[in-house]
Amino acid sequence: MVAPAYRIGVDVGGTNTDAVLMSGRQVVASAKAFTTADVAEGVVHSVTRLLENAGLEEGRFDAVMIGTTQFVNAFVQRSNLTPVAAIRVALPKADGIPPMSGWPEDLIEAIRPEIYMVGGGAYYTGKDYAPLDEDAVRHAAVDARSKGFEAVAISASFSPIRPDLETRAAAIVRSVMPDARITLSAQVGGIGLIERENAAIINACLGDMAAQVVGSLVRAFRNLRIEAPIFLSQNDGTLISTQTARRFPIMTCSAGPTNSIRGAAFLTGLDEAIVADIGGTTTDIGFLLRGFPRETTAANDIGGVRTNFRMPDVLSIGLGGGSLVVGEPGKLRVGPRSVGYRLQSEALVFGGATLTATDIAVRADQAAIGDPGRVADLPASLVEEALAVIHARIEAAVDQVKTSPRPMPLVLVGGGGILVSRHLKGTSEVRRPDHADVANAVGAAIALISGRVDKLYDVGSLGREAALDLAKGDAIAAAVAAGALESEVEVLEVIELPMTHMKSGSVQIKVRAVGPVAALV
Amino acid sequence: MRTVDTLQDIQDMARGAVLLGTGGGGDPYIGELFLQAQLKHGRKARIVDVNEVDDEAFVLSIAGIGAPSAMVEHLVSDKLLLKLLGRAEAFYGRRVDTLISAEIGGVNSMFPLALSAISGVPVVDADGVGRAIPHIEMTTFSILGVKATPCLVMDENGNVATLEATDDRTAEDVIRGITAALGASIYGALYPMSGRQMKATAVRGTLDETLRIGQVIRLGRESSEDLFADLLAYLGRNGRMAKILFDGKITDVTHETRDGWHFGRATLGALGDGSDMFTVDFQNEFTVARLNGRTVTIVPDLITILDRETGEPLTGERLAYGQRVKVLGYAADPLLRLPESLEVLGPRMFGLDEDFRPIEALSGD
Repeated sequence: MVAPAYRIGVDVGGTNTDAVLMSGRQVVASAKAFTTADVAEGVVHSVTRLLENAGLEEGRFDAVMIGTTQFVNAFVQRSNLTPVAAIRVALPKADGIPPMSGWPEDLIEAIRPEIYMVGGGAYYTGKDYAPLDEDAVRHAAVDARSKGFEAVAISASFSPIRPDLETRAAAIVRSVMPDARITLSAQVGGIGLIERENAAIINACLGDMAAQVVGSLVRAFRNLRIEAPIFLSQNDGTLISTQTARRFPIMTCSAGPTNSIRGAAFLTGLDEAIVADIGGTTTDIGFLLRGFPRETTAANDIGGVRTNFRMPDVLSIGLGGGSLVVGEPGKLRVGPRSVGYRLQSEALVFGGATLTATDIAVRADQAAIGDPGRVADLPASLVEEALAVIHARIEAAVDQVKTSPRPMPLVLVGGGGILVSRHLKGTSEVRRPDHADVANAVGAAIALISGRVDKLYDVGSLGREAALDLAKGDAIAAAVAAGALESEVEVLEVIELPMTHMKSGSVQIKVRAVGPVAALV
Repeated sequence: MRTVDTLQDIQDMARGAVLLGTGGGGDPYIGELFLQAQLKHGRKARIVDVNEVDDEAFVLSIAGIGAPSAMVEHLVSDKLLLKLLGRAEAFYGRRVDTLISAEIGGVNSMFPLALSAISGVPVVDADGVGRAIPHIEMTTFSILGVKATPCLVMDENGNVATLEATDDRTAEDVIRGITAALGASIYGALYPMSGRQMKATAVRGTLDETLRIGQVIRLGRESSEDLFADLLAYLGRNGRMAKILFDGKITDVTHETRDGWHFGRATLGALGDGSDMFTVDFQNEFTVARLNGRTVTIVPDLITILDRETGEPLTGERLAYGQRVKVLGYAADPLLRLPESLEVLGPRMFGLDEDFRPIEALSGD
């Protein structure tokens, strides 16, 4: 007889660090603590509280899953960035747009990069247009070493179909700089040299910080005597190991909204729904499709730098529990200004002097928070109008996110769900699952493992079916290599983008496959 | 004569070029970065008006040729463009006085500007179509009697091909073959002509139009006015009709390649409770827009899809399920609506079984 097995999900947000304890599909307990400057401290507080809430002295922990926005925040705030030497293998092509051409000046100053462009590269057919200039790579590495660089990003023309161009360059760099942290562009992006190279450079400059944060999280759990393997959530709601997160911090950059949408799916059992995460200042509305968030297809900027990372397609509006209620009767506005984290001191129900959306909800008996006596005098007409405005704003946003007029279920997660009390146009029902306030952490705890490919395949000679099978096989293999259980891996998404203007039959195929963590099954 | 002085101008022009690209033409982002890199080195593109060009001047088009998905990997080389200009002058036996864009829609609006910054040769404020088109024989130059060849194409490795074709349709086929053999991303110098010929065949004022479109969208966004109303007012300034054809959400996008063309269809549904169905077909560029099956704008009139919040124009590759967009219809330049033009770039040349009807007639107002 073995003790029940648990897993811990943690979401490190800007304000709160949430934790949940799960056993199978059951949420056993949850806890919240403030996020701290040293991420690990907040995690320790939250998890300690979690184990207390669960009344758990000891147990068998199978896995710890953590979602964090630390890395992307560091990049956006330009803090703790490692100087990067960027080596691009593409000459004689591409010299008109050197690496980091479109980057904001303040970011270039923060990273203090050195740029090297060397010979080599491949056509879309996979054939070399120029051989890798090994001497030039060596010279670049020697120069970078002499200048004290420890992080290197390597990119090459068409490396998604010729990854050896980058791995051979990396071997040369490593022979000169044995301790360098090296990011290869083909490991972090698909077709599109600029976007892929940008992702590699972003990743390289987060290297020191990733080692530090991940190291500190690992130590935190060791100190809590939780010895389970630790995973981090990545953008698409699937997991990577701490070793991978250390090497590829960029893969975690928009895990937050993804985890909240995935958590909502799990808590309601819905597969397709609109999910509104109503916080203190904003409401993030996303679209749950086949159990995963719908993703954007446009180029995504991270801190002013263009990448081709897929992000959850989330519409953010300035409406939350802390939104200010202002204006004359008949012209009332709710948000976008908000008291934010000062809600607990500034809202009327907490003894403050600012009329917030939360006060309206309390006055309308939608929530029992603070002292209802302090809002008892608010005129009914004001409350009625404010509620109408709140519901109308959410309705408009829901309508924008939806793709068909057919009514769909709406899932409310996050603390601000108290603002909603009425039927919302375009929705078939409004669901408020248990544990909605920690849906993010639940999303982390239920995450799967994924594998992706984004490459050009020769449909002309292989035939479409064979090329698709090849691409799917590559994605499944990538998922299994990342730790997914092979027998359970499914192909979730297949996108074909034909090569325009050419008869050649090369098709860019993107495939995503996901499966459960092998260690948990 | 004026110069392109700021990063802002370059960004505005790139955004305007996407709008005129009607879904195709290649994303000008590469051209935008390339031009910005020149500006950082203190090299500015120079623009002259059509009437500033001497009748006897030698005018030449510089263009990137190939597949957008190859160009995003191979980017562009300033050394190559400068070499191309030198080789072209040797080939034609005279100095190039003025550069011109072959198609203003998409990335080829930017390469002549970048070469101008590198070489000092000015670019004339005009182009060969006022939008994007998929073939060499579809420019107004070609239609109105200026042939694309003799021409010269080259790549960064030093491969150079010169061509004298019997007609531009043949030139298109031959250059396509060369392009594929050289990795689907090369650069060319074509449509050699005199200033007089340029004045007779070019669509005028289109470089300025890209800048102004970009400015209108950017300023509209910043000032929180109705940016679409501003945009329509600007586009309609010369009596050319511009109209929002549909406001909705993309519910489906299909892609397919046949014979080197990128075919597809975007299907849109109404916002809210509306039941209207809108489709936009594309063949590299958007070719026909239909509301509930009825044609409302058709090639060579322009169709562009823009983000309904930001006004950002979207290329065909960027369209995806769930996007909230407005579809813009815009009357083509009168040169494109001449009978001889419609024979080359009218609906039937794109396999559509209907004749061209102007947006003014189709939109019913």
